[in-house]
Amino acid sequence: MADDVGRIRIRVPSSIKAGDVVRVRALVIHPMERIERDAQGKIVQKAYRYINQVTVTYLGRTILTLDTTQSVSENPSFTFAFRATDPGPLTITFLDTTGGKYAGLADIKLA
Amino acid sequence: MTDGITRRMVLRGAGAAGVVGALATRAPTSAWAQAGAQAPALGGQESVQSALKRLFGARPLKDGAGVIKLEAPPIAENGALVQVSVEAASPMTAANHVKTIYLVADKNRIPVVTRATLTPEMGQAFVGETIRLGETTDVRAIVEQSDGTLLQVRREVKVTVGGCGG
Repeated sequence: MADDVGRIRIRVPSSIKAGDVVRVRALVIHPMERIERDAQGKIVQKAYRYINQVTVTYLGRTILTLDTTQSVSENPSFTFAFRATDPGPLTITFLDTTGGKYAGLADIKLA
Repeated sequence: MTDGITRRMVLRGAGAAGVVGALATRAPTSAWAQAGAQAPALGGQESVQSALKRLFGARPLKDGAGVIKLEAPPIAENGALVQVSVEAASPMTAANHVKTIYLVADKNRIPVVTRATLTPEMGQAFVGETIRLGETTDVRAIVEQSDGTLLQVRREVKVTVGGCGG
């Protein structure tokens, strides 16, 4: 299971026309550790591993940044819209609190 | 678990294997710290009131019912995975666009779920994600427009099985 961490699936519409505003869904496999408590109900102090930043770039420009907390679910998915003006790469980068960096790429092709 | 060792090493930024990881870690963190003074973590264990006060100070939150569409299930069977989305009506031009969308779950121990920083290139102010809800709670979407106006809508989600633990 641990090997799957950071696996990313990005879904873009199959046919995109120039200028369309399209919605993209990105899913990442990640534990998004939630806060643990001991028997006394005290918070266990440790370095929790969760994604705290998601960055979306299109044609090399950052179009969306998400700062996230542990209130985001395990194996989270994020949906957003963007205007497809030119063919090119759409990259989604996930950073977690332990230094993990996972990037996914979708090649935007225009019909 | 080998995971634990790596994590510790990376965090200390020590150890041969940790060096590469540490370099990768440092860069984005410091860049982020420089980018804005928001550096203290986005959300901690706090009440929703103190979270809102910390994020917005005394700025008024106007009712955004006509502008913001917050989609969330009325009943979530499993609080560990709740699909929500926020859409704000906006032309998304350089002069008039939605700058930030905050997603807040009132009764979560960490009420601030996400801060999305948008740009006009998105063409549409839309963000969706899967979140956790600890118990039945109001979920709010707070939208900050480029002129600084803050708009808010909220919606109650009934949670059958909580998903936050902690």
